Amino acid sequence: MAQTESSSRERILARVRNALLTPAARHAGPEQKRIFAPVADPLDRFQKECAANITECVLAPDLPASAAAVAEILAALPPGEIFVQDSPELRALAPAWRQSRSVRWSSEGGPREESEATITLCEALVALTGSVLVSSACGGRGASVVAPVHIVVAGLKHLVPDLDSAFRLMRERGTATQNSYVCLITGSSRTADIEKILVLGAHGPRRLIVVLSRSFE
Amino acid sequence: MSSPAQEFLRSATEKSADLAHRQIIRKGIDSYQAAFEGGRSRFLDWQDARRRLYEIKWDAINHLDRYLEEFERRVIERGGHVFWAENSEEACKYIADLALARGVKKIVKSKSMVTEEIHLAHALEKLSIPSIETDLGEYIVWLRNEPPYHIVTPAMHLTRAQIAALFQEKLGGIDSDDPQELVAAARRALRRDFFSAEMGISGANFLIADSGMIALTTNEGNGRLCTSLPRIHVAVAGIEKILPRLEDLAAFWPMLATSGTGQPISCYSTLVGGPRRPGEPDGPEEFHVVLLDNGRSELLGDAEKRDILHCIRCGACLNACPVFRTIGGHTYGTTYPGPIGSVLTPQLRGLNEFQHLSYASSLCGACTDVCPVKIDLHHHLLHNRRDAINTATRPWLERRAFQIFRWMMMDSRRFAFFGWMARLKMRALYALGLAGSALDPSRAWTRNHSAPAIPAHSFRALWRRAHGAN
Repeated sequence: MAQTESSSRERILARVRNALLTPAARHAGPEQKRIFAPVADPLDRFQKECAANITECVLAPDLPASAAAVAEILAALPPGEIFVQDSPELRALAPAWRQSRSVRWSSEGGPREESEATITLCEALVALTGSVLVSSACGGRGASVVAPVHIVVAGLKHLVPDLDSAFRLMRERGTATQNSYVCLITGSSRTADIEKILVLGAHGPRRLIVVLSRSFE
Repeated sequence: MSSPAQEFLRSATEKSADLAHRQIIRKGIDSYQAAFEGGRSRFLDWQDARRRLYEIKWDAINHLDRYLEEFERRVIERGGHVFWAENSEEACKYIADLALARGVKKIVKSKSMVTEEIHLAHALEKLSIPSIETDLGEYIVWLRNEPPYHIVTPAMHLTRAQIAALFQEKLGGIDSDDPQELVAAARRALRRDFFSAEMGISGANFLIADSGMIALTTNEGNGRLCTSLPRIHVAVAGIEKILPRLEDLAAFWPMLATSGTGQPISCYSTLVGGPRRPGEPDGPEEFHVVLLDNGRSELLGDAEKRDILHCIRCGACLNACPVFRTIGGHTYGTTYPGPIGSVLTPQLRGLNEFQHLSYASSLCGACTDVCPVKIDLHHHLLHNRRDAINTATRPWLERRAFQIFRWMMMDSRRFAFFGWMARLKMRALYALGLAGSALDPSRAWTRNHSAPAIPAHSFRALWRRAHGAN
């Protein structure tokens, strides 16, 4: 397979360059660059947005409490394998649920079709929209979409006020350059394609749960 | 075979009288409208936000060559392939050849208007490689062997009862028309396909030049499965989809979602750049981007119309349009329906054959008001009308009629005389009960409406009487 069909490439670019020789009119820009009001209390906003977009948000004082919360969520799910991002943090929490579940770690490959739940960390939480930012470093591409339940273990330190700050963070860490995949997840999978009626769990998770720990050490 | 214009008129007449159809469209658009108002109120200043998008898109489109080359370079750095397609044939051939060369047996597709534009499904069908639409709305119209009705909600025109009957026929085991059950049935049916397909095809909402990533916006997660599970991912996008910087998405993601469905942001705002990297648990082995021209660079050359290429395909102008709401999406007979389709189609597929779409508008400007990237849609419709008169063929009779009209209008006494004649004739015609008949010059109106009373005096006479001779 040719990398590019060079003649088409050259013809298209030549037409584009030629077209742009004639300048187009340009209207005045915005009066202010900010398009959303600043987020005053990120945690409060995040919780409200989660409630609105149907993300379950569980607050925990510390990581051991988070592990207990995760174990409780898993206990209520049907039996079956779970998929977990292979990270030191989640390895440390795993004893809380390991005896009741067979675990597939992301270091063994992507999640299996029949996974009951996936557990991952995140890059950031965005208060403005109640979103979870993940990359392929968070257990890969399938980790946040294949299973019916996706549990995100996060800390207050992950919370950023808005999208601009999320993109700033991505630049600083090189998230987009170091990963082939980044996704801003807002609520569980849904569709309104039938008579505009909202149905959750279209192709992705029916439940998105953020277990948010005040201290993440 | 009838021309697109004749077919348009036939279908518009039929659809505008179909009250059940109008009912379901009204219901869909009303619920969109309520959500949209809510979404819009989240912005500090909606008009400022629109100006922001306009600025970014203006920069992108007016430096398109530079940003496209940057995008290409970054994709290749990430281990992806970029193919430049001048037209539909080149794009389809590239994808078909790739599928054949890699021994692909099954393809899963996420929703993409550009693959509709190039008729990719048809090209793949010829190779006997099944390509399965996985967006629920798209899946429904695909099972019905129909084109999408709306660019955001493809099955907007169907009731749940119709969808239940369709699923019962095609999938079986459906005993309810509860949307929850229907969605679950589609999920079950498509799951197997996601895991067994060798190739996933997606569109791209944006191409990010400084990062070499494509941005995909979906709610269902099907787009994410298509780009995660199969071993080859092909993204097809028009060259105008470029955004200069990753940070631009902080404005475009929420604006696209709010304009498209009224949501603050879509469920999955995804960025894909390249195949799976070493150390990543999953992802495709190959990543291909097909950059499609298909008439766009020609349109770019018309500085007056260049901003048509700013379009982000949110569908807001369709929902706002009184004509779309009356005649529906299929009547247009084009890939892109509604105001943006009426503006774009004559540019991409020929002014002569599609000039009638410039008249599929009341020029009310509702489309221009809602456009999140501030495309002056209704003025573009007027420009297309002007260009059609100047360049495309109009009927001989129409051209003679306007010549005579012009001659009449050029002299005030002539104008007064013909006005008097016309009033006399119309009064006689209506007195004979011929209103709305073939002899009535106002037939287009009077065949469906009662005829207005013909005034006794001309406007000039009334004016003179009220204001004196001056």
